[in-house]
Amino acid sequence: MSDSLSNLNPVTARRAIRVLRPDSPDQAVSLARQFSASYTAGGTWLQPTHERDQCWPETLVALNSSWPGFRGLDAGPNGLTVGALTSLAELARQALIRDYLPPLAMFLNRVAGPGVRTLGTVGGNLIVGGDLSALAMALDVRVDVINHTGERALPFSRWLRERASDDLLRGFTIPDCRGWRISLEKLGYRERFSPTRATLACVHDGDRVRLAVSGEGGLLRLVATETFVNDRADLASGDVGAVIDRELAAHGWQDAHLRMALRRMTTELLSEVALGT
Amino acid sequence: MELKPQPGMAGTGVLERIEGRFGYATDQHHLPGLLHGAILRSRHAHARLLRVDTSRARLMPGVRAVVTAADVPGLNRFGIVVRDQPVLCEDRVRYEGDAIAAVAADTVEQARAALEVIDVDYAPLAVVDQAETAEQMSPLHGESNLLAREAFERGDTDAAFARCEVIVEHHYQTPRQMHAFMETEGGVAIPDNNGGVIFRVGCQSGHRDAEQLADILGLKPSQVTVEATPTGGAFGGKDELTIQPAAGILALQTGSPVLIHLDRFESCRTGIKRHPVSMIMTTGCDRQGRILAHRVDALLDTGAYASLGPAVLENFLDHATAPLYRIEAYSVSGRLVYTNNGVSGAFRGFGGNQATFAVESQIDALAEKLAMCPMELRRINLRTVDEPGSRGQVVRWTAPPSNVLAEAGASPLWAPAGSDLRRRWLTGTGMAMGAQGNGLGDGLPDSGGGRVSLTAEGRIRLEFGFSDYGQNLAEAITCLVCETLGCVAGDIDVVLGNSRGPDSGPTSASRSSVLIHGVLADILPRWNDCVRDQAAALTGLPRDQLHSGPGGLFAGGRQVLSYRELAEKGQPEQTLIDASQAFPVAPEGNQPVGRYLQLQISTVARVAVDRLTGRVRVTDLHHITAAGRVIYPPGYLGQIEGAAIMGLGMALSEDMPTRQGHYLADNLDQYIIPTMQDVPDQRVDVLDNTPTTDRFPVRGVGELGIEAVAPAICSAIEAATGIRVRHLPVDAGYLLAELCAQEETCS
Ligand SMILES: Cc1cc2nc3c(=O)[nH]c(=O)nc-3n(C[C@H](O)[C@H](O)[C@H](O)COP(=O)(O)OP(=O)(O)OC[C@H]3O[C@@H](n4cnc5c(N)ncnc54)[C@H](O)[C@@H]3O)c2cc1C
Repeated sequence: MSDSLSNLNPVTARRAIRVLRPDSPDQAVSLARQFSASYTAGGTWLQPTHERDQCWPETLVALNSSWPGFRGLDAGPNGLTVGALTSLAELARQALIRDYLPPLAMFLNRVAGPGVRTLGTVGGNLIVGGDLSALAMALDVRVDVINHTGERALPFSRWLRERASDDLLRGFTIPDCRGWRISLEKLGYRERFSPTRATLACVHDGDRVRLAVSGEGGLLRLVATETFVNDRADLASGDVGAVIDRELAAHGWQDAHLRMALRRMTTELLSEVALGT
Repeated sequence: MELKPQPGMAGTGVLERIEGRFGYATDQHHLPGLLHGAILRSRHAHARLLRVDTSRARLMPGVRAVVTAADVPGLNRFGIVVRDQPVLCEDRVRYEGDAIAAVAADTVEQARAALEVIDVDYAPLAVVDQAETAEQMSPLHGESNLLAREAFERGDTDAAFARCEVIVEHHYQTPRQMHAFMETEGGVAIPDNNGGVIFRVGCQSGHRDAEQLADILGLKPSQVTVEATPTGGAFGGKDELTIQPAAGILALQTGSPVLIHLDRFESCRTGIKRHPVSMIMTTGCDRQGRILAHRVDALLDTGAYASLGPAVLENFLDHATAPLYRIEAYSVSGRLVYTNNGVSGAFRGFGGNQATFAVESQIDALAEKLAMCPMELRRINLRTVDEPGSRGQVVRWTAPPSNVLAEAGASPLWAPAGSDLRRRWLTGTGMAMGAQGNGLGDGLPDSGGGRVSLTAEGRIRLEFGFSDYGQNLAEAITCLVCETLGCVAGDIDVVLGNSRGPDSGPTSASRSSVLIHGVLADILPRWNDCVRDQAAALTGLPRDQLHSGPGGLFAGGRQVLSYRELAEKGQPEQTLIDASQAFPVAPEGNQPVGRYLQLQISTVARVAVDRLTGRVRVTDLHHITAAGRVIYPPGYLGQIEGAAIMGLGMALSEDMPTRQGHYLADNLDQYIIPTMQDVPDQRVDVLDNTPTTDRFPVRGVGELGIEAVAPAICSAIEAATGIRVRHLPVDAGYLLAELCAQEETCS
């Protein structure tokens, strides 16, 4: 392990932060526990958050993308495994992404800006409820997590409910979704580099439709809407709007105009996946 | 004529600025003995200061000086129009960001750490956060929160309204926009070892700042030098003093150079903003569409201090009279009130574009009620070049307004607007017009000078007091000099912004190009005569056969003397020629009113509105400009397009709302400016009918581009959706709700 004080930046004037650089994922977990420290991957979320609050952590545990399984993509029998420390820019460049998730490469262009995409990681994005979290939720990805009790794989949605502070995300596996129909839509304040108001992911796995949303109201799998769409109505049914509106409102999406936009985005995405466009 | 960017046209330094390699005053970390300054800002929007205890801060490592109001050597106030803003607050803070103390230390971290241990006891006071009720609240200054009230009247407005067939009345609201320059406020104050101070700082008027700083520092004017170094954008936001007073006091206290550079959080919190305006406009016309009557009642929130608020109010009202249109009677009034909502002041457009947004929207509203084409309604009411301006003053246009309108009518952007509600994007095209005056206006003292000389090294040196904040004045000056003297850019040095050099007045109010052209027209022929005299004496050739050209003096088609030889053998010190001019504010003998030199613009906008979300995308902007001769094409294009992008931001996303006097956005991830992906295709046309004999063929275009963008966009949104937005920035949620309501009515 190496231990360094971060370089002091004369312009931003942040206090010295002790950055621990563990040699292995296990050591990272134990250091995180020992110092009650957060992990840092690309640091793109942590840095502005702390700067805004003017409250810098004393210690951070830096993650290392050369640890096995932490970076890159690997297609296997269970699907496509993505290392948590793969940067967003790297993800967009991968040929495998075009095979498994065709709309994602283009969509990533709308996630943050080039600088953040170069540093920011896929794992970090999932953890902070970024644009990819809605897609991960709709795809039912399984995450690979290490903590002081060992390593385990579990559904992303369950992990979010049970997450422990020392949970280290190694990566996640997307089921083999080649042939599925996937649509993604983001509503921001401007064309690019916009804070997300809402990102909607709609996946048709050949049998059922899955829907998830992330953004201002938080990450949410739209279970009631899915049930309505899959079991009670045809996809073109106009009533889906009322169902999604109720479901969003019940889960903290307070802005009525935003819900209105989401109703319409959902209808649009549903027709896209239904029509295979 | 379309003004097109040409390859290689960008001026020097442009790439360096884009790539972040350009050296600004805030990059001067190499100065020997440099200390770093930091300013303690108020946590409260409004409070009494009960105690400011700096004793712990003074003991912090690296700290060299801690200063409070008691340490201000001279006048503890500044402000361009009204000196009402304390350098360091004595007993009361009036906005979240008011300066209370300042620290100089060896490093920024040490300075900021020291700020954290300055103990301040506040007694919070009631926050004046609503402009509407500000006058009923206890005053922030003097007797009342009403800082200024002004009205322009013409004719009998009530009687004119009584004759109107059609009257429209609407409420309009414009946002508190932030300049969002790429280089935040900063600079360095350097003791000159003689008791004086030299400032190297990004600012807009070295001379004016030097005067105020001398008063604050208790120095003689001759002891303060301001070098207005090139800065990364200003747009009015660096017109007032920013960090200079604190840096100067700390430099005097420590005897060392002190650098202060606000980070983006501090810049957002303390920097001045565009005045938000709330206004009711009532406009009426007869059955034929002739506008007879117009009434405006406006309220401008100037925040905690006056800054340039009173002048903004005047320019707002000037534009609210609808200067392009012939209106029989109007009554236009506005109130400017103090609140605890930050500070508002100068911003490109200077109140004018807020008024134009409403005026042009009113014209469209009248046209709709009359079932008349809005362009036709404009045509009927536009002034001719021979008519006086809206305030009865003589006005000098550079093209007939009707021609500017006609060119807009011929824009290729008038493709049929998509109205098929089944498609995702609804498209529409709209337009608006705007007028913009040059100069400080309304009879304010306005003059400026410049200087030319041949240096000992044989360089042609041009000096002006203007600042370079990205508009590339140096290139414009170089173009004009080359054109007049026949020399090349390599012969010329341009020196800008030094308060020891000629005073050109502030770099604001779109006045620089006018003065530069006027002063050069005066000094260059005289300088040319002078160097030809000297060359004639040195070469024995008759003066009339000599002329200046690339690299030196020519006779009979060949160079007979280089500028360097002339400097070495002649008397370069005698080639120094200074001149100053009054800004043209009225023709000979006339009383100055409003602005004499006027420019016009028509902006045609095409938008696409997302039927699913209400989001607006501006796909194209086409500007038809009548702003005199183009002396430097990249500068002209850059100003029109750049200002239009600011107008786009104001129309679609930019606002700095407050709650209880606290800004609700603190950085550029929350305050949403357009990115390059939001920037539409733009085309700039130039219409110039200025006669060659015109004494003022060159005008300043720094603000023109913003004038008509917002109303053009709203007009295009209406064309796309049938919904008129009168509150900026456009709220996608509102638009969506209206679209949904429309669909429900249709179905
Ligand atoms: C200006 C800006 C604009 C942005 N715009 C968008 C946008 O448009 N859309 C969008 O989706 N996102 C956006 N983001 C968020 C961006 O995607 C995230 O900041 C980035 O993906 C986080 O990754 P990181 O590696 O930098 O995380 P870090 O900042 O390093 O960490 C973020 C959090 O995740 C934890 N963490 C990181 N990696 C792991 C791991 N492997 N295991 C366990 N915990 C971990 C950290 O402890 C921390 O709590 C934006 C961010 C910025 C700064």
